[in-house]
Amino acid sequence: MTQSIGANDARSALTTVEHSRQQVIDEIDMPRWYWLGLAAGWFGMGVISDFGPGWLALSVVPIFGAVHASVAHRVLSGRKRSSQLSVRAELAGTHIPALVIGFLVALIGVTIAVALLVNADGASHPATIAGAFAAVIVALGGPQLMAAVRRRAVRRAGP
Amino acid sequence: MAEPRFDELIHPSTRLSIVALLAAADWVDFGFVRDRLDLSDSALSKQFATLEEAGYVVTERLLVNRRRRVRVRLTDAGRRAFDGHVAALQQIVATADQTVSR
Repeated sequence: MTQSIGANDARSALTTVEHSRQQVIDEIDMPRWYWLGLAAGWFGMGVISDFGPGWLALSVVPIFGAVHASVAHRVLSGRKRSSQLSVRAELAGTHIPALVIGFLVALIGVTIAVALLVNADGASHPATIAGAFAAVIVALGGPQLMAAVRRRAVRRAGP
Repeated sequence: MAEPRFDELIHPSTRLSIVALLAAADWVDFGFVRDRLDLSDSALSKQFATLEEAGYVVTERLLVNRRRRVRVRLTDAGRRAFDGHVAALQQIVATADQTVSR
């Protein structure tokens, strides 16, 4: 039975399989609203830190963390960008949540470092400037991070 | 590695594309498959009916955000058949490559 088709037909069929798999790999992502919301929240925290009352500046970070945690668990796997499919875990990899959290933790460090540098330089609104800087990194870097995850999934899936 | 087993039911190009899409996902919306493969609703329904009859896929009708959705997923039997079919295709290619290199 296995010899009922020729090698060229088999190659063509394997190409069809790869094409379909690629279409699913293209769906490994997080919703655009997640990155935009995160960027807006980051910038908002900076603004509140500079201009808001002291009690709000102190409580905004844990509030932001709680809101993020409640939203992120639904999208952090990168397997459900839309409601149209759920990518298999072995194809997407199980490392995406750790990768995104690592990215955000690194960004916290970058935000603090930028705020300290800007403050040392004498700027009047260091948290706002640092928040805007981090927001741009989130909005542009988040989708790039997921594109790297998709490229890795292609390499893992193999020929 | 699955045992090579050529599957006549899966092999036709359209059906192979469908099963390969499903194999890469836990479940897929009917509309996603239709749009990616550029098939009509009726053509895709026929393909799913054939695969469902063979026990390779199951379809679920759901109400999501007040909209009717049809989700399709590969069964364990369907996944085994697909993996075996891909292994059979790879075996055919490998055998041909070995013959050429001799």
